[in-house]
Amino acid sequence: MFLVDVSILYFCNVSAIGYYVGMVGLSVGEKHFIQGGIAQDLRTDGRKRLTYRPIFVETGVIAQANGSARVKMGRTEVIVSVKAELGRPSSSAPDKGKVSIYIDCSPTAAPQFEGRGGEELSMELSAALRQCLLGGKSGAGAGINLSSLSIVDGKICWDLYIDGLVISMDGNILDALGAAIKAALSNTGIPKVNVASAAPSDEQPEVDVSDEEFLQFDTTAVPVIITLTKIGRHYIVDATSEEESQMSSAVSVSINRQGLICGLTKRGGTGLDPSVILDMISVAKHVSEQLMNKLDSEIAAAEAMEEES
Amino acid sequence: MAAKAGASPATYSPSPTTYKKNRPPIFTDVDWVRPDGRDFHQCRPAFLRTGAVNAASGSAYAEFGNTKVMVSIFGPRESKKAMIYSDIGRLNCNASDNKEISSQLHKSLEGAIMLDTFPKTTVDVFALVLESGGCDLPVVISCASLALADAGIMMYDLVAAVSVVCTSSCLGKNLVIDPVSEEENYQDGGLMITCLPSRNEVTQLTITGEWSTPKIHEAMELCLDACSKLGKIMRSCLKESSSTSQE
Repeated sequence: MFLVDVSILYFCNVSAIGYYVGMVGLSVGEKHFIQGGIAQDLRTDGRKRLTYRPIFVETGVIAQANGSARVKMGRTEVIVSVKAELGRPSSSAPDKGKVSIYIDCSPTAAPQFEGRGGEELSMELSAALRQCLLGGKSGAGAGINLSSLSIVDGKICWDLYIDGLVISMDGNILDALGAAIKAALSNTGIPKVNVASAAPSDEQPEVDVSDEEFLQFDTTAVPVIITLTKIGRHYIVDATSEEESQMSSAVSVSINRQGLICGLTKRGGTGLDPSVILDMISVAKHVSEQLMNKLDSEIAAAEAMEEES
Repeated sequence: MAAKAGASPATYSPSPTTYKKNRPPIFTDVDWVRPDGRDFHQCRPAFLRTGAVNAASGSAYAEFGNTKVMVSIFGPRESKKAMIYSDIGRLNCNASDNKEISSQLHKSLEGAIMLDTFPKTTVDVFALVLESGGCDLPVVISCASLALADAGIMMYDLVAAVSVVCTSSCLGKNLVIDPVSEEENYQDGGLMITCLPSRNEVTQLTITGEWSTPKIHEAMELCLDACSKLGKIMRSCLKESSSTSQE
């Protein structure tokens, strides 16, 4: 089922963190091996440039949460939980709920994350995910429909807390987190709320939260995130830590089912020609269809598994 | 040696430099007017000046409309914390202790700086937003690259940053360049480019909201054009300050 991971044989001395360039200690030979392989469209683990590692999705892994999912891509592993709580909508958007996304990097993934070491990466990932999933400032183009979280305009709404945990890291964290959020949201059941009518307009209305009836969260508009990593003159998807250490730059694009770009961010590194970026966007668009279908079927299979057990 | 500019303010012409798009106004039929009466594709006047802080190795002050920003550069100097050995220099960015802006600033600048020219040391970039009037991040980035040049840090090129927002749906409607705060708050999506104008290289690109590919194309073209013009203004500011210090 899984591709044979040749890279383990070659790079058993590699330290786990590869998010920052130059952290992985590779010899000159190993670097050439990676770069040469990518130039020939045959990567160290046997994949082509635009092939993902097998994606493994499991839903309902955290009982206390309203929805949760674990996603594995090779040796990258993340868990995302979604918790819904009643709250007050903000005054600027009274007819909308609120969503907060926070990612934590566990020291189990890399010893560097101990203490405050993972803070910078956590913040960067959280910001990138917010940007990709929550749309513009006015809320237009958001993957998560905030209006569906509203209960009583200006009074009560659902606050969704999306918390991610990076358990094991072998490159391509952002895509894995994006996929896990999508899976966790489709696993999310939001309790049905009955609002007591005839409440005076200036008071907080009383609500009755059902613990039996749940509404399924609609995730058709949630985009997938595709990170294209540029190594040499080519770009690859789903880079491993070793490959990420050789990158010149990387662009993460989030694309929804309609093929529209919902967010884009570039990760440091050297500059890119504008035409290269446009080309990367079109490649990402092409890849997104396959990934979206793959992910949807994996999520459906995981949901079916959960119901069986 | 880096030019210390602005020592005698009298010789620096404070008349604002305007850069205007050559495109004809497309939105003649739109009754919506921007808060400051600009065209949709017209940027605010840019006022730039180097050497605002004497104690720093280099500094710059930028004023784009109401957005006022100051950046000072310290270093290259010894890395403060006990950090592991690095044969290239480090760039440390801090923008008013706002982590998100700081990390964006870092990402935008690192592609332009020749880090291998100051191994084992750190260059500190401290940015201060004196007044926030929209487009803060792009102004901070442009101002920081000017300050880096003032400090004599080796760079491939100056970094110019411009952003656009789109209003009333990104799919078919208007692109507004160099938005003010009000426009930023009502945006349906935004795009920011930081680029090295003379190398035609993009060091950072962020997009929010829902966009179609042709619209991204249009927005990028618009921004890159404005970036190259802003780059020229920044260059002339540097030239002016160095000629002032020679006198």
